[in-house]
Amino acid sequence: MSNLFSGINARLRGTANKPVPAKSPISSTPLTDDGQLALPSSLSQASQSSTSLSIASKLPPLPASPSLSQTIGMMGSPEEALNAYPLPRPLPVWLNPAYARHIVKGNFMTLSARPKTVEQGEWVAHQVVEHYRNLWNFVRVVFEKEEDGKTICNATSCPRMSAGMNHSYTWLNNRFEPIELPAFEYITLMQRWISGKIDDTKIFPTEASGVSFSYNSQITTTALLTGPDEWVGKRSGFPKDFFSICQTIFLQMFRVYAHLYWAHFTEPFYHLNLEKQLNSCFSHFVLTATALDLLKPQELEPMQPLIDLWAANGTFPPESKAYEYANLKAGARLLQLGGMA
Amino acid sequence: MSEGEFAPPPTPNIESYGPNAVYNRERCYQLAQGFFKDAVRRARERHERQKELKLRLESPELLSRRELIWSHSGKLEAKYLRFLRTKEELSNYAIVKTIGKGYFGEVKLVRKRQDGRVYALKRLFKSEMISKEQLPRVRAERDALAESDSEWVVKLFTTFQDNVSLYMLMEFLPGGDLMSVLIKYQIFSEDITRFYTAEIIMAIEAIHNLGYIHRDIKPDNILLDRGGHIKLADFGLSKGFRKDHEKSYYQELLQRPVPPSSRPQNNRHSVNIDEISLTVSNRAQINEWRRSRRLMAYSSVGTPDYIAPELFSTNGYSFEIDWWSLGTIIYECLVGWPPFAAETFYDTYRKIINWPHTLLFPDDIQLSYNAVHLIRSMINAPDARLGRNGAAEIKNHPFFAGVDFSSLRRIRAPFEPPLTSDVDTSAFPVDDLPQEGDGEEEGGPAPGGGGDASGGGLLLGAEDPEMFLPFLGYTFKRFEKSYTA
Ligand SMILES: Nc1ncnc2c1ncn2[C@@H]1O[C@H](COP(=O)(O)OP(=O)(O)O)[C@@H](O)[C@H]1O
Ligand SMILES: [Mg+2]
Ligand SMILES: [Zn+2]
Repeated sequence: MSNLFSGINARLRGTANKPVPAKSPISSTPLTDDGQLALPSSLSQASQSSTSLSIASKLPPLPASPSLSQTIGMMGSPEEALNAYPLPRPLPVWLNPAYARHIVKGNFMTLSARPKTVEQGEWVAHQVVEHYRNLWNFVRVVFEKEEDGKTICNATSCPRMSAGMNHSYTWLNNRFEPIELPAFEYITLMQRWISGKIDDTKIFPTEASGVSFSYNSQITTTALLTGPDEWVGKRSGFPKDFFSICQTIFLQMFRVYAHLYWAHFTEPFYHLNLEKQLNSCFSHFVLTATALDLLKPQELEPMQPLIDLWAANGTFPPESKAYEYANLKAGARLLQLGGMA
Repeated sequence: MSEGEFAPPPTPNIESYGPNAVYNRERCYQLAQGFFKDAVRRARERHERQKELKLRLESPELLSRRELIWSHSGKLEAKYLRFLRTKEELSNYAIVKTIGKGYFGEVKLVRKRQDGRVYALKRLFKSEMISKEQLPRVRAERDALAESDSEWVVKLFTTFQDNVSLYMLMEFLPGGDLMSVLIKYQIFSEDITRFYTAEIIMAIEAIHNLGYIHRDIKPDNILLDRGGHIKLADFGLSKGFRKDHEKSYYQELLQRPVPPSSRPQNNRHSVNIDEISLTVSNRAQINEWRRSRRLMAYSSVGTPDYIAPELFSTNGYSFEIDWWSLGTIIYECLVGWPPFAAETFYDTYRKIINWPHTLLFPDDIQLSYNAVHLIRSMINAPDARLGRNGAAEIKNHPFFAGVDFSSLRRIRAPFEPPLTSDVDTSAFPVDDLPQEGDGEEEGGPAPGGGGDASGGGLLLGAEDPEMFLPFLGYTFKRFEKSYTA
């Protein structure tokens, strides 16, 4: 573990390997100025939907408030629906239906549907790891040094962890102030934080003997425990804060995807002919995250138009939460603009 | 309207990127492709299991056991999910003994430390695979075994890798291989030959139905399970209809310079080579051949004895090459040595391409008309070979009159391995193989130390051995139905 951290640290700072205390960033003071440890702040600084800054993993579940897209979706024409988003003109390439295609056909939902007998926490853990591995396939492309020592995503190309004009994500420094970091550093710190969680067998247990199953009132007679002392994954040995950790991980992964789309869709993914792969992994990610309540509708904001498009073009089936969260009018407008309506 | 237009997509320009980006592009491409292929397969299998579960839950006879069925299913699925999340490494296994060896790697009997289960672990060295250009071979074997779910094919549970090696964790087949049985008994009766041949037909048919040509059907690749029934192994040369398997292995073999020892002029006795081994009076020579055949199996060239002639030509070949190989095995079971046995690779090769003249039956061994007829129809030109229209025409040959192919696995096999424990290796040539240490505790870093990436997290950068392009997508994990709760 310390190898992993210090390896990254060395790469990042050019310093000698220094073991990093594997403390929880929630309880410990985040230290960003020496690159040791920090945690992501949960909300984007410039997001219209919120003003408060707080620590993600401490957040109580937010009430399901209607998202911006839904509110807009109630009224107006498709054109107005799309214009309500703060999008640059001309529109980004990735919103063009011709470039929003996939390498997979069929219903993605079958990939993330929990088998009925499987305990929810076990399934969530599985999804976290799979999506993390997928996302990292793409990050690696923009993060690995070229022969001249440069990475595609660097402090010059991406001085901030941005996702479009209105979103720039910050970290909390040791005085709990949000600070801006180049995307490369933000993502590096975030990756270290996530892998620290995933590799911690107290949070993600791996012993085969510790498994459980889901309750079914029709079949299982075991007392159905509900109440304050029951949590997702409890019976399978996951800790009390497991689900909120997973929510934070998904939120952070979402931000990375958002950065990849807004800052790197053409350079390099489109140039490298990887845009369909990226689309497929991201749409699978959104379907999973929404279906398992790992992302809330308002958290989808920077990528909302693409989600609308995928709902309108059938990538997201009508029975999915992602579809429910989409603004079909805006999606239809994008299809229309792309000559596909 | 102009406000609604999309930014014009640039012309894709991969050339503007450096070699590392291009390399990473390829990795990313393959991993994404591989993820979905794997995820779809897993979802489909999961769906099948859920359907089966539903049927069992609805069955009136099982009413009293419904809770157990439900919880068992949940736990089994969960164990599989944990298996997927975690990283396999050599140190998870205690090595019991080396039981087999091929040119590229070795096969060991191992015990999983976590649950005490016994497996066969095949290890291939990455450096060898690269320097000897065996990558398509590695890939072919992994794919064929991962994709098949047949009782006739050795089951692959998982594949994993570290910096040095690739590993294939398979079910351990305690009966050894057919080569050992042949070495032990020298000759089979027609009844026993009929049994093994019928089972091998089923096995070859099963892999052909999956779209694979085995290309290396020979006695040391036919293994016996605990009941003495056969399973095919060693798909290293198998050819599926995938681009990454393409490589004319034998073509290459023949283009290599002939080693001096196998050059005909160096071999004075080879003048009459076509006539050797044709009588039982040549026992000494046959035994010599038998003794050397194990060693042959360990050598780079392998034995060409079972290879169909069209594999040596450039004109292409198809599924029927496996039926030729079976023909040579039937001959060997009945006669005691394969039909084109010779002292050197080169002489055997010469005999095979001259098969119309060199396929001879010894006078002093009594064979039935049907047996000879069957062999001659399989050791035959590709366009006339029995089996070219499918396995059914072989099954209908009079040699198999009365055989019920569908129930073969339910009848008792002629030789049932007498096993004394779950790690009984008496069917294997363990004494001929180098055994490191005294069983237990060999190889692999100590648990927790020196491992590569741990858990589900991935290292950032190229240090993760799984991220090395040639072996990308090698890692595979099968759902294990027989997990004990
Ligand atoms: N699953 C297994 N169970 C028992 N023995 C095995 C198993 N797999 C291989 N062996 C033994 O190891 C030998 C070599 O394995 P094989 O897969 O054929 O490797 P190679 O490609 O080197 O020929 C086989 O001939 C057989 O005797
Ligand atoms: Mg072999
Ligand atoms: Zn960037």
